[in-house]
Amino acid sequence: MSNNKKIIWQYPWGYSESFIIAITLMILGFAINYISKSTVSTIQWPLNLFFGIAIIILLLLVYFLFKKKPFLKWLSGTPAAISAICLYTFLVLLMGFIPQGSPKASGFIHEIGLYDIVSSHAFLFAQIYFLVVLGMVTLKRSFPLRGKNIAFFINHFGLWLTLFAASIGAGDLQRVTLTTNKTNAVYFGINHKGEAIHDLGIAIQLKEFNIEEYPPKAFIIDDKSGTILNEKLFYLENGNSGEIMNWVIKVDDFFEYGICMGDKFHPIYDIGAAPAAYVIAINKKTKKVKEGWISCGSFRFQGNFLKLSDGMILVMADPEPKRYSSKVKIYTTSGNVFETTIEVNKPVTVDGWKIYQSDYNHDMGKWSDISILELVKDPWIPVVYFGIFMLIVGALYMFWIGNKK
Amino acid sequence: MDILNFNNIAFITIALWIIGSLFILGDQKIKNGRLIGNLFTITGTLVIIVFVIILWIEIDRPPMRTIGETRLWYAVFLPIVGILTFFKWKYKWFLFYSLGLAILFLIINILKPENFDKVLMPALQSPWFVPHVIVYMLSYALLGVSSVVSAWGLYLIKFKTFKPKLLNKADNLVYMGFSLLTLGLLFGALWAKEAWGHYWTWDPKETWALLTWLSYLLYIHFRFRHKHKTVTALWILALAFIVLLICWIGINYLAVSGNSVHTYTS
Ligand code: HEM
Repeated sequence: MSNNKKIIWQYPWGYSESFIIAITLMILGFAINYISKSTVSTIQWPLNLFFGIAIIILLLLVYFLFKKKPFLKWLSGTPAAISAICLYTFLVLLMGFIPQGSPKASGFIHEIGLYDIVSSHAFLFAQIYFLVVLGMVTLKRSFPLRGKNIAFFINHFGLWLTLFAASIGAGDLQRVTLTTNKTNAVYFGINHKGEAIHDLGIAIQLKEFNIEEYPPKAFIIDDKSGTILNEKLFYLENGNSGEIMNWVIKVDDFFEYGICMGDKFHPIYDIGAAPAAYVIAINKKTKKVKEGWISCGSFRFQGNFLKLSDGMILVMADPEPKRYSSKVKIYTTSGNVFETTIEVNKPVTVDGWKIYQSDYNHDMGKWSDISILELVKDPWIPVVYFGIFMLIVGALYMFWIGNKK
Repeated sequence: MDILNFNNIAFITIALWIIGSLFILGDQKIKNGRLIGNLFTITGTLVIIVFVIILWIEIDRPPMRTIGETRLWYAVFLPIVGILTFFKWKYKWFLFYSLGLAILFLIINILKPENFDKVLMPALQSPWFVPHVIVYMLSYALLGVSSVVSAWGLYLIKFKTFKPKLLNKADNLVYMGFSLLTLGLLFGALWAKEAWGHYWTWDPKETWALLTWLSYLLYIHFRFRHKHKTVTALWILALAFIVLLICWIGINYLAVSGNSVHTYTS
């Protein structure tokens, strides 16, 4: 901007005006939070649809009626864009430093909404400002649409659509956790506020819960403090041998499911059976040999460790899950009854719900008698994905072309 | 990791890179110096690429989980970016910078040997994992080079020998790096939807990734409108890289990162 001598608020507006507006919006947002003691609530179907359409019509109308006016020149120009990006960045930056959603929040910072920025009025205003400017910028370059502006359109409209659909659709997003068990079909879940939700339209019964585990790791620990002494990892698998902390360790026998009877483990598959390994450990310096069974135990049986020397014991860590899945029977109010398997990263879609494998009873591990599923309904996802798709195309194009001009 | 001795491989690679750099450095005096130098640097890079591939097969999962493994990938991508930019612009210092940084990463890995832990939590076992991480690492490598341009520019300004044309070099790197940043962010969102049920949850790492993206967005738009305000542009570029560093490394030390899905250090 070369208009240093220009009086403020005289057109054309530049950075001073843009930043004053951005900062005013932010302070106004903080003040509304402070005075009204409320947060922004989302709007729901079908209100958000009408609202969204109204906004689009309004943006188009304002643009075409006033596009020659200096105010609109400003609103679709770089200074406004930079101030909008800066305001948005500033609030996200606060989010990056202030822990969000802390339950005991109080005091001034809390009252102006900084512990929950996403639902603060300042963030709402920042987002509206951002979307209005981005919308105007897009319109300015898109009418009439010339070939050389297509990349510009894909990037800017793609981002606008993604953010717009994500914002107005936020109120329709439903996330419910449903804890299934083997005795009966469960037809209700709990939302993030802890309320029970009954009108899901589906009921789910757990048929089988499966965990595939990695071979357990062995650790040498200090028997008083319980701290792990070895850095090098050692997996307990049949026949595996290796060296940790001057001990050469060999796995002589290994059962994924073992139960201790007397002083010996036996390969028995029964509820609570735990991995067990017979290890032979030879100290490299003293040549001392120690051998015996080790096991991580389970909710039902105690574990077993091997004493190597004073203060040092060899233990088996609980095996870590490689994948876990639930075989479930699903009943829908639309009359369908079927069985399916839900796995982490492989959700299942039923009547508008996407069902995710979420959790299980960790104390019981692979014997868990429950499986926790998450049901998600997000009707706006196709629109958001369309925007994301545009952004991907725009990014690929940008990567290819660079800033050659 | 007995068959694959990382230290030996790393030393071979470092030696090849250093020999190659020396040839390129003296290419005015040595006959075919540049060609020989290129061959050495490329061979060094191929050696480390093959190592990564074998490691991947060996541990039966993409080696992209631990910090040490990511350092390994930087030691792969930095030379690639360095060699390609060297071919395009013939700037030797670009190449030396990227090779130097790659050597640094390898040395850190030699000094801090890593256990190649097989365990990969179920949510990470997704087809999105590899593209998400690779795109980010390539992007960071490109933006890293652009930040060197900004540091170099700010240094030159001190001695009044700065030429605005230097920034044009940075622009191309930023455009390429930024577009990969966009892809990384979007792949992450699509993956999160499949694994956790929602594409954006303001997890601390997501927040900082968005901040990094916004910082470079700011740079691009500022540069587009104000071609001549180079000093401000240099500063935006330098600050953007600081945000990137916080996102990449600093996040583990911030109070906010309590239960981020992106902190795997246990
Ligand atoms: C996906 C994100 C974005 C990308 C990849 C992007 C990319 C670009 C590029 C490459 C240009 C230069 C245009 C040209 O070469 O002709 C540009 C211009 C511009 N962008 Fe963006 N941009 C993005 C987001 C935004 C946002 C969020 C805003 C506003 C809030 C914005 C406002 C502008 C403005 C005002 C111009 C100048 C247009 C003109 O003067 O004709 N952009 N953008």
